[in-house]
Amino acid sequence: MTFGEWVKTITFYEILVGMKSTLKHLINYKPVTLQYPHEKRTLPDNYRGMLALLRYDDDTEKCVGCDLCAAACPSRVIKVISSEVPGEPTKRFAKEYSMDMTRCLFCGLCVEACPVDALAMTREYEWAVYDKRELLLNKQQLLAIGDRSFQVREKRLELQHPNVAFFNVSFKELPQKPS
Amino acid sequence: MADVAIETVTLTIDGVPVTALKGTLVIEAARQMGVMIPHFCYHPKLKPDANCRMCVVEIEKVPKLQTSCSTPVAEGMVVRTATTVVNEAHKSILEFILANHPLDCPVCDQGGRCDLQDFSHESTPTTSRFVEVKRIFQKEYFSPLIETEMNRCVQCLRCVRYCDEVMDVKALAPSGRGTMTEIKHFSIHELDCEFCGGCVQICPVGAITSRLSMYEFRPWMLKRADTICTYCGDGCQITIQTKENELIEVNSSHGAGRNNGDLCPRGFFGYHVSTHPDRLQHPLIRRNGALVQTTWEEALEFIAETCLSLKLAHGPTAFAGLIASRCTNEDLYVFQKFMRLVIGTNQLDSSARYGHINGVRALLRVQGTHRWTIAFEDIVSAHALLLVGTNITETNPITGLKVKEAVKKRGAVLVTVEALQPAIGTISNITNLAAHHVTAHPERFGDAVLGLIKGVVEEGLVDPSLTQRAPEYVKAISEAVRCLPWSAIEQATGSTSSALRAAARAFADAPRAVILVGQGVLRAPGGSGVTTTLLDLLLLTGHHGRPGCGLAPLAEENNDQGAVEMGTVAEFLPGPGDLTDQAVRERIAGLWKEELPQTPGRTLMEILDDARAGTVKVLFVVGENPVGTLPHAARAKEALERLELLVCQELFLTETAALADVVLPACSYAEKSGTFTNTEGHVQSVRQAIEPVGESRPDWEILSALSVLLGYPIEYREPREILKEIRSLISGYGLLGPAPIPPRPDAAVVEGYLKKGFAEDVTSRYSLSSSTDRQAGNLTLVVAQSLFHSGKLSTRAKGLLELQKAGALALNPADATLLGIAEGDQVRLSNARGQMTTSVQVRDRVPEGQAVFPEHFDQEVRRLLSVSPDPQTGAPYFKTTQVKVEKV
Ligand code: SF4
Ligand code: SF4
Ligand code: SF4
Ligand code: SF4
Ligand code: SF4
Ligand code: FES
Repeated sequence: MTFGEWVKTITFYEILVGMKSTLKHLINYKPVTLQYPHEKRTLPDNYRGMLALLRYDDDTEKCVGCDLCAAACPSRVIKVISSEVPGEPTKRFAKEYSMDMTRCLFCGLCVEACPVDALAMTREYEWAVYDKRELLLNKQQLLAIGDRSFQVREKRLELQHPNVAFFNVSFKELPQKPS
Repeated sequence: MADVAIETVTLTIDGVPVTALKGTLVIEAARQMGVMIPHFCYHPKLKPDANCRMCVVEIEKVPKLQTSCSTPVAEGMVVRTATTVVNEAHKSILEFILANHPLDCPVCDQGGRCDLQDFSHESTPTTSRFVEVKRIFQKEYFSPLIETEMNRCVQCLRCVRYCDEVMDVKALAPSGRGTMTEIKHFSIHELDCEFCGGCVQICPVGAITSRLSMYEFRPWMLKRADTICTYCGDGCQITIQTKENELIEVNSSHGAGRNNGDLCPRGFFGYHVSTHPDRLQHPLIRRNGALVQTTWEEALEFIAETCLSLKLAHGPTAFAGLIASRCTNEDLYVFQKFMRLVIGTNQLDSSARYGHINGVRALLRVQGTHRWTIAFEDIVSAHALLLVGTNITETNPITGLKVKEAVKKRGAVLVTVEALQPAIGTISNITNLAAHHVTAHPERFGDAVLGLIKGVVEEGLVDPSLTQRAPEYVKAISEAVRCLPWSAIEQATGSTSSALRAAARAFADAPRAVILVGQGVLRAPGGSGVTTTLLDLLLLTGHHGRPGCGLAPLAEENNDQGAVEMGTVAEFLPGPGDLTDQAVRERIAGLWKEELPQTPGRTLMEILDDARAGTVKVLFVVGENPVGTLPHAARAKEALERLELLVCQELFLTETAALADVVLPACSYAEKSGTFTNTEGHVQSVRQAIEPVGESRPDWEILSALSVLLGYPIEYREPREILKEIRSLISGYGLLGPAPIPPRPDAAVVEGYLKKGFAEDVTSRYSLSSSTDRQAGNLTLVVAQSLFHSGKLSTRAKGLLELQKAGALALNPADATLLGIAEGDQVRLSNARGQMTTSVQVRDRVPEGQAVFPEHFDQEVRRLLSVSPDPQTGAPYFKTTQVKVEKV
């Protein structure tokens, strides 16, 4: 032990350093607890809140019913029933789409998986309910969340680049698939 | 082939020494040792085309990369499949393909099981260097059942080659050059082909997919059940893919089952029958004249009470039973045990009576076997094939593929005696491949066969050792055929004597020869006799008993053979053993620990007669539909209406079930387990794919429950227990193996036939059929099976209905012109029995003077037909008649 260390030990130097910080906070007091719901936090940009389904700027649903979100989801939240769009032969969509939000981990893997950016995580988090069944959301509910959360919408995919002109489009002159 | 010495070579693949047969391709040798070389255009079923370059490998001492799909193995070859050079090659080939690929995997039904996806994931980066606009083809509509997206095509030409090499349909062709090559079909509007689904199955990417299941699934959601198709006797293995108890699609993997992964439209597109909305969901009982829903308890108790009181009053002879040979062996076995032990009668029959029995009886008579003495492999390796009365493409499509393989790949000589004539059409026509063809009138196949035998005798082709062994037999037959004048045969068959002689020579000269007999013979008057005469032909040419040679009657229904072997026909006990054979009776009685009933068996037509006469009062019908199948002339409806109790176990409310007092909902093949025995005698596993629809139960379970209520319980826990019991009666039954081991002809029976047995009907068999010349202006109406349907069941499959919705009369162009009829016109068919109207199709393959109508749709055609049972086998014949055709 050097002499300097010996002096610090007998004068409780480290404790004094600690107390200095304590005393500083005592003088400049600022509360940390947010008075929710009167006060709300500013959310970071990549906040992962309630999930939503999105639409293109012409109001058509983006989801093509590919089921990749359901395949990616680690907790089996998503159920997609895909089919041909009635009246639009050879075009695929999700006839039914539901999420059991009681199980969601908000990991965002489904959003990552979606090839057409039809899924997004909103900044909504006030979803406390008395009845768990209210957290079973269907396609219309999920689209509504998307509608209210995202005002700016993308252009239709096939209008974005000639290379995707044939991605999931309908051919009106063809008959519908046999039912 | 068996007579070639097997040579092997040793090579090294990725450092591992491998021994492979000489001639094996490197890609196959690698597969055998577990190395999958990426490939698109190669498929083991097809001839190598080496057009995609994906399968390149490094071979030592060869300067450039080689395509492993077209390079045969050589001694000492050193192959490397995963070097940097090879991987770079894969990468660049994939990059070229992806440059034009739409990458619409999310909406592509192949996504998740796509070769291009898999290989790309292995070797290419996730970003592309190409920014140019991709190739885009005009969208072309293929058909209601097959969807194409040519932008996804990798131009491997597997579909085109499959359709030509395997199917012999040639419906597809590449058009355009280079990257702009596109697969097209030849038809003007929609694809018109056999719809075997082969191109859908073989396309390595999502360029050709099924429209029937489009967008209903992702491959990883599907649950698979390997089972057997129920639409014909070929017994193809199918994999039913289901999603949450819904039938999604059917396919068959390469190498699977007796069909080796090939299917026909019925197997590939016909699977929606099981979940048809009209399926019976609950038991029905007749109250105040109408069928109303009831519970199982009530239905079964009602049956049991009525049966007990009627049995007390009239004895067991007032009971009879009919079962469809679409049921599993387990159902069939329990049914006959139920009838024999619980009810105490032998009066039972199955739909094997409609024709299959004729073939079985002939085989038993001449060679003492109830099965084929050959297997499908023998058809493929035969040197000569004789097809008699089988429009094989439409009745037994997969056996037909074996014939096509033998002829196209192995150069077998095909002799056809058919009602069809060679003509190019949208579906393959086996007679087009024939080296010798006789267009026989559908009622005169026997005459053509006699012509062939006369040819054999006159050309001196009779086996000398047979002449030594059975001089009387040879003498009797030679004399019989010498008495038949060529002129009469030529007139009856429309073939020249020299053509018949040449055909006879081609057949006789072949070292290995196989005869296939179809519905045209088996379901026509004298069916059993003509089959016997065909066996004479085999005997005379010395083929009989030789390995790889034999006669094979083609079963129409999936378990016709099983129905015979389970003893659900009038004349047989399980085995099949003769009902009148004391030794067989004692053995079975010993195993069942119960005496067998003494009464004789009754055939289908006899049972109906008895019902009409009032001696049969109770009829159990399992899946059979005599009212809907037999012509009106059989008066089946009248017979069933006279019954005091008619119990039907059915999937749908058929014409027969509509007359029943109680209808019990039964499970279809997709909902139960068991075994089917295919036409070649191979016993194969049927596995459950979905839960029973509604309250339906498997047939054996229903019978078992009834037996308990009737005071004689025959109970089993599961189908396997029944199979175990069957095995105790027929040793080795249903020991599942990759290929059947065909029985050998019983030498003692053959000897007996040659010495004495042949003589009993030699004169009647060796005389030309009494000519029933049609009256001027009349056509011969032939009611035949269509490729797209099987029985009446398939008319509930939505996929097959897309292919054929209703029957239409097929006419020869010459007849059509004569009658002033064009394609699509409405015509009236009439004869003394009745009349019907239908539309017309003009088809080159239909010979002049004939008109072919499919048997599947409940159209008035059954009014026109007469019915006559075979005097020996009781098989009801109702396939042909004379009609007048007029335009309306
Ligand atoms: S956020 Fe995660 S847990 Fe929630 S639905 Fe998406 S993938 Fe599933
Ligand atoms: S991944 Fe996207 S497009 Fe696919 S089903 Fe889910 S939300 Fe729809
Ligand atoms: S063919 Fe394969 S790679 Fe192409 S879109 Fe379909 S799944 Fe994707
Ligand atoms: S379905 Fe069969 S017959 Fe039709 S085009 Fe495809 S392979 Fe050829
Ligand atoms: S359609 Fe499929 S099988 Fe045919 S050439 Fe294209 S990729 Fe090959
Ligand atoms: S698989 Fe060998 S070249 Fe295509």
